[in-house]
Amino acid sequence: MKDLFQYTAGNSVIHRMNPLTKILLAVCICAAGFISDNIFYLLFLLLLDMMIGLAAGVFKKALSILKGLLKVSIFLFILQVLFVRRGTPVFWIITDEGLMLAAKVVLRLIIACIPLALMLAVTQISDLANALVQVLHLPYKYAFTLTTSIRFIPQFMEEMGDIMEAQTARGVEFDTKNGLKKIGLVLPLCVPLLISSVRRTDATAVAAEVRGFELRTTKSGFKKYPFRLIDLAAFLICAALIAGAVLL
Amino acid sequence: MISLEKVSFGYGEGSSTVRDISFHIEKGEFVAILGANGAGKTTTVKLIDGLLKPTKGKVVINGLDTSKTRVSERARHVGFLFQNPDRQICRNTVREELAFGLETVKKDMSREDIDRRVGEVMESFGFSGDEEPFSLSRGERQRVALASVITVQPEIMILDEPTTGLDYRECSHIMDVISDMNRTMGTTVVMVCHDMEVVMSYARRALVMAGGRLLADGTVRSVFRDTELMLKASLLPPQITELSMRLGKGFENADTVGEMTARICSEMQVRRAGR
Ligand SMILES: Nc1ncnc2c1ncn2[C@@H]1O[C@H](COP(=O)(O)OP(=O)(O)O)[C@@H](O)[C@H]1O
Ligand SMILES: [Mg+2]
Repeated sequence: MKDLFQYTAGNSVIHRMNPLTKILLAVCICAAGFISDNIFYLLFLLLLDMMIGLAAGVFKKALSILKGLLKVSIFLFILQVLFVRRGTPVFWIITDEGLMLAAKVVLRLIIACIPLALMLAVTQISDLANALVQVLHLPYKYAFTLTTSIRFIPQFMEEMGDIMEAQTARGVEFDTKNGLKKIGLVLPLCVPLLISSVRRTDATAVAAEVRGFELRTTKSGFKKYPFRLIDLAAFLICAALIAGAVLL
Repeated sequence: MISLEKVSFGYGEGSSTVRDISFHIEKGEFVAILGANGAGKTTTVKLIDGLLKPTKGKVVINGLDTSKTRVSERARHVGFLFQNPDRQICRNTVREELAFGLETVKKDMSREDIDRRVGEVMESFGFSGDEEPFSLSRGERQRVALASVITVQPEIMILDEPTTGLDYRECSHIMDVISDMNRTMGTTVVMVCHDMEVVMSYARRALVMAGGRLLADGTVRSVFRDTELMLKASLLPPQITELSMRLGKGFENADTVGEMTARICSEMQVRRAGR
């Protein structure tokens, strides 16, 4: 979970796309997943997700996300199957329509989660922010907020782990097997976590100000983010995906 | 009291941060763990308390295998000071922070007893009790964290860099408190420390680590005098030890300012008499 937002370096087709194209592609795959009601198309989208993972050299990560979603998926699937009353019974209270619907819900969930995570894995957040500033003319302040908050997520989780470890060493029963009890214990931890994050935000803000943050314009930043042929191809794919979802 | 037998540990698959380490620590010992940054010292002390479980080998503390027992049950007997005090502090005033440990591990202790104990420690550390830990300076937060470990009076204290970030006076105060517990109550102390002068003045035994391995285990003095070992571990012995080794004959084993002064005085007397 901690490395979910970590950048994986590489020089694949996907890596070379404009950061905005990558996000658009991810969003289009998600959208196609929600629009389409065709189980085969959904399966195709899932396959596409995995292929993107393969092409970008982050197949392992794609698999691990899939594995992470497994528990939720099974839970959702069972819930759906039990609560859908329409269709012809296949076995006990389970109907064919229920199974189909459940499969679709689960597929949609997976299709929606994987592409964004994968794109984040092959996009440096600073690139994304810079592209947002240069191409879409987003004020730098907001782009900076985005990059900083995403960069802090892994740190935040690491801190949480450290704090829990320290509390355990002081006799708080975080090493209990009782999940409910553990949740109750986590709440008091929010104090140190909140304080340290506020303090860090403060420090970051001061550091940014000292370095002339206010002076940045859309033209600051030496890397440029032009749209190339790959991006054009990606746009076409995006359009095709949405069209396919609507038509099939 | 603490025993590691052929312990290995890695954070991820295939990584091995600590490799094949074995040592025993008896009750009442004062042991320093030395090594460069990234040598695996923090990992080793976390293995001792069972915060990390060995991937290979066995860790026994207080007669219990850490893989089979829970860390929180051990908190009454084992105190742990983390390298970063901010991860450890969780209450809004110093008084509450010091009482927290007692409240969690000594549930049978009465409120008056807790208050008395907290008062003692606050006096020794010079805290008024109403300070907000998070608005104190880094060195003071470090002292609050240490004070909260000491309040519980554990039989074993594991301290990960207790003196880092402290000024000279703060440093000698906390080291005196620790050393006092070690002498009067027989508290076992295992301390990771980068300050070789502190190690020389307070610890009796040193474990030297490099690259996740245990390079040496011996008395502090013998370890510091092993030039080759110190080089291998990227460590620098205290200056007095270095001086004593360079001066050679007549100045052997003078490792503290006191010892060195005594040697110099006697040497000068000899020379004056000879003249
Ligand atoms: N939580 C962790 N996850 C992965 N690697 C870690 C973690 N903590 C430490 N390491 C790695 O293990 C090695 C030893 O770390 P550590 O025991 O903290 O060293 P020391 O305390 O001697 O400076 C380092 O190379 C460090 O990068
Ligand atoms: Mg360390």
